Amino acid sequence: MKTLPLIIFGLAVLAQWAAPLSQIWTHEQVLAKGTLIKLKCSAPDPYDPLRGRYLAVRPSQSQAAVPAGVELKQHTQVYAVLTTGTDGFATASSLSPTPPASGDYIRVKTGYVYEDKAWIEWPFDRFYVNEKLAPEADKWFAENIRSVQGITAEVRVFNGRAVLEDLSFDGKPFREILKARVK
Amino acid sequence: MNSSHQRWLLEQLPQWEREGLLTADAARTLRERNAVDDSQPGLAQIVMGALGALLIGSGLIAVIGYNWDDFSRPVRLLFAFLPLLLTQLFSFRVLQRGEASSAWVRETAALLQALATGACIALVSQIYNLGGDWPDFLFWWMLLSLPLAWVLRSHSVAIFYLIAIAIWSVNQVDRGRPWFDSPLLYPLLLLGLLPYWPGWKNQAPLSVSVRWVMTISAIFGFCSLEIFVIPRSSDYFSGYDAQSFFWLWTLTAAAFALFPLSQNGNEEPIRRKPQVVLGSLWLLGYGVAATFRDVSDDILKGASHALQLPCCWALLTVLAVFVLLASLRKRWAVLAIASVALLPLLTIPFVQSKHAYDSTFLSWLVTLHLAVIGITLIVLEFAGKKGAPRLGATLLSVLIIARMADSHFSLLAKGVAFIGVGVAFLAFNILMSRQLKKKQAAIV
Repeated sequence: MKTLPLIIFGLAVLAQWAAPLSQIWTHEQVLAKGTLIKLKCSAPDPYDPLRGRYLAVRPSQSQAAVPAGVELKQHTQVYAVLTTGTDGFATASSLSPTPPASGDYIRVKTGYVYEDKAWIEWPFDRFYVNEKLAPEADKWFAENIRSVQGITAEVRVFNGRAVLEDLSFDGKPFREILKARVK
Repeated sequence: MNSSHQRWLLEQLPQWEREGLLTADAARTLRERNAVDDSQPGLAQIVMGALGALLIGSGLIAVIGYNWDDFSRPVRLLFAFLPLLLTQLFSFRVLQRGEASSAWVRETAALLQALATGACIALVSQIYNLGGDWPDFLFWWMLLSLPLAWVLRSHSVAIFYLIAIAIWSVNQVDRGRPWFDSPLLYPLLLLGLLPYWPGWKNQAPLSVSVRWVMTISAIFGFCSLEIFVIPRSSDYFSGYDAQSFFWLWTLTAAAFALFPLSQNGNEEPIRRKPQVVLGSLWLLGYGVAATFRDVSDDILKGASHALQLPCCWALLTVLAVFVLLASLRKRWAVLAIASVALLPLLTIPFVQSKHAYDSTFLSWLVTLHLAVIGITLIVLEFAGKKGAPRLGATLLSVLIIARMADSHFSLLAKGVAFIGVGVAFLAFNILMSRQLKKKQAAIV
């Protein structure tokens, strides 16, 4: 058996394990050590051909302030400083090209930048659900479209990384609400 | 001669020997010369192996897509890694058996492992509700699958990789991306296939299907690169941008047609050289379009604009090297067709004024040039050299139709001219068929 193909195959196998394992490690760290923040959002039900049904999580905040003197470019990674309001919901209060020294922050991507505001792309945009539950989510949204409370995204943040832990409505996990409706 | 022709020939030899058509020595020589390399998989084997692997892989992805949210996270992660581990063990066994493994098994193992890798990444991102764009997913998937094309000599994984890098590059043309996340990476990604072709010992032949996919991938990859490097003030393309792309793509087509070939490659039939077929088709289409004044006006504007860009000069330098190498190989027909791309360079100094371009010169120059090519292709055949009389006649007919279409003659005159050209074309076709029959009769 030739050695070179085997070495390359071995390296490929290692890389094929390392790529998902590094993702798992990073996200487990965030889930274990991260701060829990809550964001107001909506979540309709599209479909991913590779990963199945998911709820498209759209935080209601789509722009953030750019502090005076800071110049940001489109399509770049920046840090959104998070501030929690009296209602318990977090918002991105300002954007910075470098990680802030203290407090909670999330790494986001800039969209269109205009004067003192920039559109932001949150690092989470989907919450996967079982394909039995997903159509129920659509019905739920149609019935509750006028609800002032809306859906809450529960997100763990740690060192700029964010993992969407759960979606909730009125304090209850959204998945449980859907499961109860299916039964 | 491809492997199916060789197999047919080898099957006929015993019969011909029995009938006394061939001596035993002649048959042996033919057998040696046309030995079929069975290490290369046949098309049917590839298709069957790839189809089986695709079905299993797609099934796996669908099972994952169901989202088993009743199971805990570790159990779901096990679902992701178990198929990957099994396919890796299967590939290792195939690799261990070396030449003893048949070609279709190699194909199946490689494709299954590539699909299991994609499914594993997809499931991990599903479990952790990761966002991310599909091009990022595709990028990592194709990179992690690439070594399988090298070590298992898998055509299907190579084809998957070539399609994936083209799709990824086309998707990354937005303004303002860093170079490592843009189509500028395409040439490097294409070079990633080098261990697969030409291979470790520089001897690996490339199948016709992979050649076609590679050429189409390269067309999309390099065209995306050219769109990306043209400076834009906004996300939208201006008229000048579109005109510049058109000319840069034409220079790229010329570079494709003239891509250096070895002596053996030069002698291969044209259908085994997709870069020549597709490059020449674009150039002839571009040439015919440039005979219209409006189009040549746009081409001149685009060429003048593109000449201010460093990438255009880089492309022209590459083209100059390819022209030199093609001249050494005496590829006159391809050189003649490729020269159509450079005609705007000849006309720019004469037609550019301060306020406007007079494109009449270019449109007539291209018409004349194409007419000369058409006539030459016909005359070569009648002079006893290798020509392409039907292509020449087609080119002349298209030129006449184009000129009639933008002339101010009455519909009646145009109709008569079209009928005349049609009759002449058919008569020429009949003449060529008779010539061919005479030649064949003379050989017999």
